[in-house]
Amino acid sequence: MTFLTATRLGAISILLSSAALADGHLDGMGPEDLLPLAQKEGAVTVYSFTSRIGKVEKAFEEAYPGIDLQGFDISSTEQIARLQAEAQAGVTNADVIYISDTPVVLTELLEKGIIAPFVPPRVADRVPAEYQSPLLAQRLSTKVLMYNEEAHPDGAPVANLWQLTTDDWRGRVVMVDPLQRGDYLDLMTEIVLRSDEMAAAYETQFGEAIDLDGAANAGEKFIADLFANDVILVGSTDDVNVAVGAKGQENPPVGFTSYSDRRDNEEEGWALQVANAVEPAPGIIFPAVLALAADPNNPAAARLVIDFLMGDESETGGPGLAPFYVAGDYVTRTDIPPHPDAVPLSDFTAWRIAPAETATIRAEIGDLILTLQ
Amino acid sequence: MADTAMSGQGRRVFFRQGTVLKTVVLALLIAMIVLPLLRTVLFTLQPDTIRAWSDVLTGRLSTNLFYKPLGNTLLIGVVVSTGCVLLGGFLAWLVVMTNVPFRKTIGVMATLPFMIPSFAAALAWGSLFRNDRVGGQVGWLQGMGLDIPDWLAWGIVPTLIVLTLHYFSLAFTIIAAALATVNSDLVEAAQIAGARGRRILMGIVLPVTTPALVAAGSLCFAGAVSNFATPALLGLPVRMQTLSTRLFGMIEVGQVGRGYVIGIMLVLISGAFLWAGNRVVSGRRSYTTITGKGGRAKRFDLRRARWPLFGVAMIILLSSTVVPVIVLTASSLAPSSANLFSDWTLHYWMGRSDPSFAQGIPGIAHNEDIVRALTITLGLGLAVSFSGMFIGLLASYTTARFREGWMSAAITQISFLPLLVPGIAFGAAYIAYLGAPIGPFPALYGTFALLVIAATAYLLPFSVQTGRAVIQQVGGELEESARITGASFAHRLAAITVPLAIRGLAAGGILIFVKIIRDLSLVVLLFTPTMPVLSVVAYRYASEGFGQFANAITVVILFISIAATLIASRLQTKSQPWLQN
Repeated sequence: MTFLTATRLGAISILLSSAALADGHLDGMGPEDLLPLAQKEGAVTVYSFTSRIGKVEKAFEEAYPGIDLQGFDISSTEQIARLQAEAQAGVTNADVIYISDTPVVLTELLEKGIIAPFVPPRVADRVPAEYQSPLLAQRLSTKVLMYNEEAHPDGAPVANLWQLTTDDWRGRVVMVDPLQRGDYLDLMTEIVLRSDEMAAAYETQFGEAIDLDGAANAGEKFIADLFANDVILVGSTDDVNVAVGAKGQENPPVGFTSYSDRRDNEEEGWALQVANAVEPAPGIIFPAVLALAADPNNPAAARLVIDFLMGDESETGGPGLAPFYVAGDYVTRTDIPPHPDAVPLSDFTAWRIAPAETATIRAEIGDLILTLQ
Repeated sequence: MADTAMSGQGRRVFFRQGTVLKTVVLALLIAMIVLPLLRTVLFTLQPDTIRAWSDVLTGRLSTNLFYKPLGNTLLIGVVVSTGCVLLGGFLAWLVVMTNVPFRKTIGVMATLPFMIPSFAAALAWGSLFRNDRVGGQVGWLQGMGLDIPDWLAWGIVPTLIVLTLHYFSLAFTIIAAALATVNSDLVEAAQIAGARGRRILMGIVLPVTTPALVAAGSLCFAGAVSNFATPALLGLPVRMQTLSTRLFGMIEVGQVGRGYVIGIMLVLISGAFLWAGNRVVSGRRSYTTITGKGGRAKRFDLRRARWPLFGVAMIILLSSTVVPVIVLTASSLAPSSANLFSDWTLHYWMGRSDPSFAQGIPGIAHNEDIVRALTITLGLGLAVSFSGMFIGLLASYTTARFREGWMSAAITQISFLPLLVPGIAFGAAYIAYLGAPIGPFPALYGTFALLVIAATAYLLPFSVQTGRAVIQQVGGELEESARITGASFAHRLAAITVPLAIRGLAAGGILIFVKIIRDLSLVVLLFTPTMPVLSVVAYRYASEGFGQFANAITVVILFISIAATLIASRLQTKSQPWLQN
């Protein structure tokens, strides 16, 4: 019995280490070496928090015929729940994970060994170190206050976040339910973490020091007031975009959504524009990261997808990066020029989140929002 | 087991008629129904999850996490079940007991709303009544220049209306069947004695159909409180939550413990109401309505009220069947729900991917994901109708032929247990149960098998009921004589029971098929991206603002359901005696 177990363990460890070796070997490969292996695997599954995966799918299959990319548009929150359930079940469905919600991803997925980092060697020298570890950030994404520029051609109708808690904006602020989408919970959390700035902005707006009225800090007070002012919760960012951006509205609401959704203005008939000058900040900037499943079914194809998503050697990154080379998304590769139509990153006033810090009070803010609903 | 079989006492037990069969069936039911529910309860009692109980029931979060959703849930349950009994009862009375024109048409139409998935009805409501609260696209009526107030566009009022119009056909079926059995002697006696219509209704018809009314009310209550799609689609913009939407949200964001506790409470509440309903009925014993003789009573003459009452019935039926179907079809063709009947395009049905249209999503005929989901959904429907009817037949055969003993009683009770469990809670239980590997068995998360097993278990109340009706049609004598001549159990089942009952079985199987392909609440949690089903895909499109695709998919589900239902009702015309003259 013991002997058998020992042999079995030995065999397993040999298998495991050779698998690890093989995978380690893959880590150093460029796309041309990965391609034949990936074509042998024939398919690859990607969980993506953005619907743009549909465009990536088409571009990838054109660039690398013979590999079927199955892209699934699943919100970050749901990806986390699914990946946890799948790990518990010992099932691996996804090869590549493309996700935001980094505060939870780092603690719940990376630290628990459900996903693994990978940086394609081809671009490693052109991505700043802060965006390579602990996970590779492909770009910086946003959740910021946007308005309808058709209805407000002279600029944002809001100059200070606290205006959203006044009667003028009662029932006219739209956002996704922060209990359904993690990036909105991150936004709420950041507002609390920036309570000092929120308190200063309150004074600027109302000319008097903030009266917390039982709230723990200025950030929580803002969230409570916003909910008391009948903020409208919807199910997805597209609902926010339509609500805020649709043309031909006399008195459109404002809402928190992705700056980069402005790219769809023409296609969808929207007039979305960012309220960059709003005090103290229009919202948050956060990384969108790429990772491998801990034990991907298609290890070579998975790496090839990540390599593809980091863009090719052409000036703006080619077809892999095209869906993300848009105004309002900030690609992390240093050799790709910033998008000409967007506010440059250095002038963009949104807060950068610090995932580890956000993680500390995120659950608490979630509970706070639960009590406000 | 071996030891028991060896001993004399054990041998007799072992060989007593039906014991083996009963044991097998009971074990199967325990594994499929009792264990998953138990597993959920145990999960919430672990040291790191037990806090979920106080969070949900007593903590500072409890008001929003539990009590407010509970209030909405109970309101929905009470109003919808009352409304359903009134509407369904009214229509059943018209069809069975009066001379209203077009009785048969009313009878057939009244069974249809239940075939329309409730989320489809909710989508149709949105296409008509959506106002500008959320901004962006508005519904047709608002587009026509009417100002739809919030309370009519969102929240509790539309939820109540949509659910009542969905579930009343369930009440109709039950009440009509009961009314059809009211002894004509009673009614005729009253007529001879000079009692007037109202008197006959209140004094005879109502009292003897009380059990059916209570049964109908309880089933509508159980359905309404566990309905997920309607409150989810109509409630969020005004922050209305019910227990089932809360349960879904908690599991989606990974607060599984809290989600399960809410699920357990939901089961207990619907269980308590059904139990109370049963108590009311079983308190009175004189409900025997079918006696040896007595033909059909003379129909109650509505005289001048014939056409007005017909009009009322048609308004109810048109608004619950024809209007949603038209709206759904139109809105699967119209780019803007504000102009439902203009600029029609077939893009959402058969367009190729076009980057400038609907973010490049191709029409449903060319959309691989949807075609895949359709295949899986139909496969699931077939698999579940077979496995459901097999287990249903086995269970009902066992309890019908071997009535004695606690095991038969237990089989009956357990097989009806899923009726108390909301689909979404049942799905959650199955994730906990089969999501992780058990001993040598692999985890079933994300597999087709998980969907089939969970759906089979969930629909057992229906399959057992159908199985029982079928078994009762097949007399015991034939089977008895085969047994005396030495035919084995499997042989008897294959050579006698199944061939004789095949029509009934097929009809039952089709009904299960229809129930599962349009179900959302059970599969919405079991669904994985690699194992998609149509109803969930439609729900996702709807919640991501692509209502047209959702509506197109729903029309597909609808037509499959209606076609299957019509086939089933051909196979079992006898089950609707009220349609015969």
